[in-house]
Order: sequence, then C-alpha cells, then structure tokens
Amino acid sequence: MKRSGLIWTALIAAALPCTAQNQAPNQTVVLKRGEQMFATTCATGYCHGARGGESGAPRLAGRGFDQTYIGGVVTRGIPDTGMPSFATRLSRPDLTAVVAYVATLNGVANPDIGGGGAAATPAPALSAEAARGARLFTEATRSFGRCSTCHEVRGFGISVAAPIARVPDSVPALKALATPNVKTGTMDGESMPSLVLSEGKKGPLFYDLTSAPPVERNAEPGSVKFTDGSTWRHSSVIGAYNDAELNAILAYLHTTMKP
Amino acid sequence: MMVTMRFALIVLFAMSSALAQEAGATRADWVHNAGTQFSWRYSALNQIDTANVKSLTPAWIFQTGDYAENLQTTPVVENGVMYLITARARVFALDAATGREIWNYRYPEPPPNTPGFVGNRGLAIGDGKVFFGTKDNYVVALDQKTGRMLWRVNIDDARQCGCNITAAPLVAKDKVIVGGTGGDGAHRGYITAFNTKNGRLAWRWYVIPGPGEKGNETWKGDSWRFGGGAPWLTGSYDPALSLVYWGTGNAAADFFDGDRVPAKADKSKEVNLYTASVVALDVDTGKLRWHHQEIPDDQWDFDSAYEVPLMDREVRGRMRQILVHMNKSGLTSVLDRTTGELLGVFSVPEVRTWISGITEDGKLVGRNEPKLGKTTTICPSAAGAKSWNSMAYSPRTGFLYVPVNELCADVTPNNRPAEEGQNYMNGEFPIKLAPGRTTYSHVDAWDPITGKRTWSMPYKYVLLASMLTTAGDLVFTGNPEGEFFALDAKTGNKLWSYQTGAGLRGGAAAYAVNGREYVATTTGWHSSVVGGAVMALFPDQDWRLGSTLVVFALPEGSR
Repeated sequence: MKRSGLIWTALIAAALPCTAQNQAPNQTVVLKRGEQMFATTCATGYCHGARGGESGAPRLAGRGFDQTYIGGVVTRGIPDTGMPSFATRLSRPDLTAVVAYVATLNGVANPDIGGGGAAATPAPALSAEAARGARLFTEATRSFGRCSTCHEVRGFGISVAAPIARVPDSVPALKALATPNVKTGTMDGESMPSLVLSEGKKGPLFYDLTSAPPVERNAEPGSVKFTDGSTWRHSSVIGAYNDAELNAILAYLHTTMKP
Repeated sequence: MMVTMRFALIVLFAMSSALAQEAGATRADWVHNAGTQFSWRYSALNQIDTANVKSLTPAWIFQTGDYAENLQTTPVVENGVMYLITARARVFALDAATGREIWNYRYPEPPPNTPGFVGNRGLAIGDGKVFFGTKDNYVVALDQKTGRMLWRVNIDDARQCGCNITAAPLVAKDKVIVGGTGGDGAHRGYITAFNTKNGRLAWRWYVIPGPGEKGNETWKGDSWRFGGGAPWLTGSYDPALSLVYWGTGNAAADFFDGDRVPAKADKSKEVNLYTASVVALDVDTGKLRWHHQEIPDDQWDFDSAYEVPLMDREVRGRMRQILVHMNKSGLTSVLDRTTGELLGVFSVPEVRTWISGITEDGKLVGRNEPKLGKTTTICPSAAGAKSWNSMAYSPRTGFLYVPVNELCADVTPNNRPAEEGQNYMNGEFPIKLAPGRTTYSHVDAWDPITGKRTWSMPYKYVLLASMLTTAGDLVFTGNPEGEFFALDAKTGNKLWSYQTGAGLRGGAAAYAVNGREYVATTTGWHSSVVGGAVMALFPDQDWRLGSTLVVFALPEGSR
C-alpha cells in the first residue's frame, strides 16, 4: 500500500494534440472521459469505490448530489478529511468531465459538460508501427536505456535534451546524429560529457552525461571548465534498441512531430 | 593452529557483535532517519529518565510554514545542527539547541499533473550532503553546510510509473539508496543506488526478476512487468557484512491474484518473488544475497515494505546476528541476517481473521483469501495492524515497541486489467473498526526472541506516529489528538504527556548539544489516504493538520 502515487492525473489529456479545440464537446465523449478519470483518479487506493461505490471513502452514487455541489467539493476538497482539492491536480476539461460523470451517478441525465472539449478529443490514430514506437520510446523494462530517459514527447519522459526539433529520416541518420551541444566539462581533474543549461553567477548548471541516467549538477562558480566537443555519441546510448525497434520509434516521432 | 584459528574466530565474532550493538544506538547525534543504519530508533542518552520525565518542557518550537498538509519526517541531527524536511520538500538546517535557522532550501513545486499525494517521510545526511527524494521522482543532494543544490537525478517519470520517492534515502558506504512507491499501481518496483559524490548510478535492483532470471517463473505470463512489490520505505545497513536490508511491497494486483499467480502454484511455497519479502543486497553491486518471503501470494495488501531493525541476540543458547521484520498484517519474522534463516515468527494484532495460524517455520495456515464476486471481512485491514510508522528497539529491555491498530475491512476484489502507472489494487475495501472493542489501538512491548508481549497500553483511536526509545527507559510517541507522550519502557505506564496542538504522524528523535539532552517531535496530521480513512471512523474527532517541530528538554539548572 503505497500511500503516495495514488492520484493519477490527466496524462492522456496533456499528451493529446488540440486538433479539435473549436469543436463543440460531445457529451458521450466527455462522460466517457469522466468515467475514465474517475476510475483512475477517484476510485483508487483508500478512496472511493468503482462507479461511485463505497470503499475507503464514502459512496457517491445515488446520493442526490447536484452538479454544483459536486463541482464545489471536487474543486475545494473537504478540509480534515481524505478528500483533497483537485483544482490544481486536474486540468479544467478533466475536472468538468469527472464532475459531469459523478452527476450522472446521481441521476442527472444531461449534465453540463462545459464549453471546451479539447480534453475529450480522441488522439489521432497511430499506425501499428508508430504505436509500437510509442511504446518502445518509454518502455519501462529498458530502464535507463529508453529514449524517455532524456527526451520528453507527448508529456512523457524527462526533458534533459531540448525538445526534438527534427526527426532523422532513417536509422543510419539517427545513429549518425551529431551532438555539437554536448561539451566536455573538466572538474577536479575529471572530464565528463556535459550538456550545459546555464553558466550564471550561482555556478554552472549542467547535465553530466557520463552514464545514464544523466545527473543534473550545479558546480561552484569557476570550478568547471567547458570545452567544445566531446567523445559522447547519441549512437552509444540507443543500444537498448535494435534497428527494427528504432524504425518504429522514428515512425512514432514522424507522426507526432508533424506540423 | 586449529585452536588459534578457532579462538581468533570467536574473538572476531565477539568483536563484530560488540560493534553491532554499539552501532545500533545513537548518542549526541541522530544521524539517520531511524537513528542509525540499524534502525532501532533508540538513543543511549539517559539524562531524561523515568524519574524526571515529568519535568520535561518545550525548549523551542519551529514552524515550517508548510502547513497545508503534514509533517511526517523524523529530524536528523549532527554536530548540533538539525536537518528537517517538510511535506513539499522544503529543507531546513537549524541550530539544534535554539531552533535558529541556518539555511533553508525549497525544492521547486512539481507540475500539477505529477501524481502522488503531498508528503515526505525524511531525509538523509552523509558525505557532506543532505539527500532527499521528491514527488516528481528525483534524488536531490544539497551541500550540508550551505543548503546549495549540488546534484539531482531522476529515477523514473512519475507521470508514467505512477511512482515517486516519499521515504528517507539510506546512506550506506559511498552510496545513497532509495526505494519508491507505486506498488498499488501497475508498476515493477526497484531499489536504486547512486554514488553520493556525483549522483551517478551505482546499481538498480528490480524486486521482480525479468525473463531468464531466477524467480521469474513464480509469475504468470508477463504479469511480472506490472507486478508491484514497491520497496517504498527505508532499509537498513550492516557495514560489517556489507549488506543492505530492505522490505518489499505486496504483489499487484493487490486483492486479485488471477492474473499473476501461475496455474497450480503451491502457496505453501514461494509465489510472486520477491514481493512481500525481506531481502539482503550487496551494498557494492546490488546483487541479491538472500531473501525471505513472508506472504507468498499476498492477496491482502499486507505490504512487507517496512523497517528492518538489526540486532544481535542470543537465540536458543547461541549469539546470533538477527533482524526483525514486520509487515502490515503484524506478522513478524526474526531472521539470521547473515543467511536469511528463519529463527522465529509471531503475530501482533489481537483481532486476526486473514489466517488462522502460522507454523513454526513461518507457513501460513487457513488463508482467508478475498474471492472475486464476494465480499470478505478481513482483519487486520489493509491500513495495517501496523502502518508505515516505525517501531523502536531498546537493547536495555530487549523489547520492540510497536504501535498496533485493530481495524478490519470488507474486501471486494475485481479483475480490471493492468494499465501502466494506474491504480491496480483491484479491490474495494472500506475500513471499519474491529468488532466488539472500545479501544482500537495499543502500544506494545514485544520480545522478538520469545515472541511474547510483555505489556500493552491501549488507546481509543489509532496510532500512526513512529516510536522512539531511550536509555532513560522511556518510550515516546504521539497520537492523532495531538498528544506527545512518554511511557515507562519496562511497564508501559504513562509518565508524561504534552498537547502539541496537531495530530502526530511523523517521528521523534533524541539528541544532545553541549551536554543537554533534547527530545524532538514532529506534529501535523496527514489526512490524505490512511489518515483520512481512519479519521472517517471517528466522526466526532477533529484531528488537526499542521507542520511544526516541538523540542523538549529538562529545565535549565534541573540537571
């Protein structure tokens, strides 16, 4: 029982491109979204039961709650109880969706689903190859060997590297990728491949790329000397994947990075 | 030659035993979250004792300003400086005699879509640094003298794994070691070690073996990928053996085992390794040296992730290097910590329905398993006969001091599929009070060798703060009503108490500066999850949040 990590937030929504921002929200889609949010955010751990049943927290279904009341409680929480405020934990569309869903559990037939349906817009379908690439990009079994150790795409991964601006056309091109922004830092007689974030008065802030995962380091002012170029190669950190897998990842990135 | 060697071995063993006993107690400093790397939460200081404790009075109070939730940490003290971390990872260095702030550091607020509740259970010091984990899954190192950030490293994307670091890291040798939460979600737990010097990865040990590794065959299909087992609290370290000891969480899905237990699995043997276990890892390599599984196929969320006190005791006429480990069911294993051999087992709650008994060799008898499509009342509840708040051990009395709760739950499992990083408890389990009682918790003194309870002090509500014991033969802890109190370690008689104003949910420490002994406690209730769930059982109660440190001493001139 992990007393943390039990609130699962609006990852999917954050990861979705807003291609249909101006379309009117669709009630079925919003309620489906609300149901999904409820299952992953509210019906967890010591909290509410599935579909608004009783569990560690009280039953919510069939209590005669109106939508305004539900919205207030979800937004503000209930002080001195296990019910937190979700005002900053969920995006606005997700809050609307989950409140609307709980309203339906209380007999509200046509709940207000707000004006913005962006969060309820389904993601464009990925090809089978690109979907496989998406999985590989973040695949947990690869531990620190996965792409998302250094790259954030669609709301997943650690943004060590700057956002991917251009996707290589092929696996050989990916392997040949030049990384001129990686420098060689020298500190206490030790050299390390370094990705410099800033060199301000508080001392340089940089990623030490000696081994995965990268370590964000903040050195004393003047204690590190950076020189251009390094022995670090992108090709040496993607060895957890074979060429077919890299192809799938490129297919995913090409789809995702399309203008 | 033979005789000389044997003599040398005896001397060596006697020396290492003496060292182990010495190493378990704190003196002026309290340098680890649990006192020392042996996790006793015992101080050898005895200025405050059973005779004078009634004069104990606040010496100073520190308000952290991080009031929205709780203060669950145990303060750490070295050379007259106290280090304290709050729920939102604000770190303070304070003059331990006066409370004067020396420096503070605020970890940047993680983005709002970071999963997990607000809370932090402690920090670690070592190698001139202060280490802690964060809600967005970083291990951070600060300069111990200035509070300046030196390095930080991400262990996993919290948004993907649904996991993060809430417990104090363990500093062992030249490593800083962390577990992580997420075991109630579809996640595969691990312990990760970094070099204290530069934050570079030293090793990672996965609780669940991958394909081709021994133990993977105890999992059905590819259920090992999301099988839980998160080792989310803090382990112990024996420098003489170079072994790190850690408890691992229950398997996921928690209440439904249909997707993770292979057909024809024998539950009297090991299932879903190495979940629900205590493990010994080599500090240098992270390699598994031995393991002991406490609950094969844990279907009750009894989570063996808790503290691992290490001690040397005579067992059946022979001095042994042992460890004691309790999981949430209150089932407690006593093991030889050099080999993992089971030396004894006992159970602490008064109300128990999940099993009917345990054999001498630790086998569970009469498993009362939750079943799909049915509701089964299980005692103790998944909130734990003991929750994560730690026990304490005194070498003077030989007793473990354990906070025990008497709660049950009506468990209804479901078989939802795993979705990475999302909740994967697969059950509803409203918690209720154990029937036929008027008190729902007790502080107990248990002898780990005999498995017998010597005394028990009942309490009306629940106990969710850690224990502290001292050579003054005192046991300190606090309750949700805000009372911080001292018991006689030999009898359990209540000798002193002080109303701190907010519910107690963290830990206490004893230390000395310039010869004056202090006892420091955190105060500030945590109402999310367990705190909220148990509070709902007592609707007339109003347990207050907060985030304050209260430090006690005997009045000047009274010593």
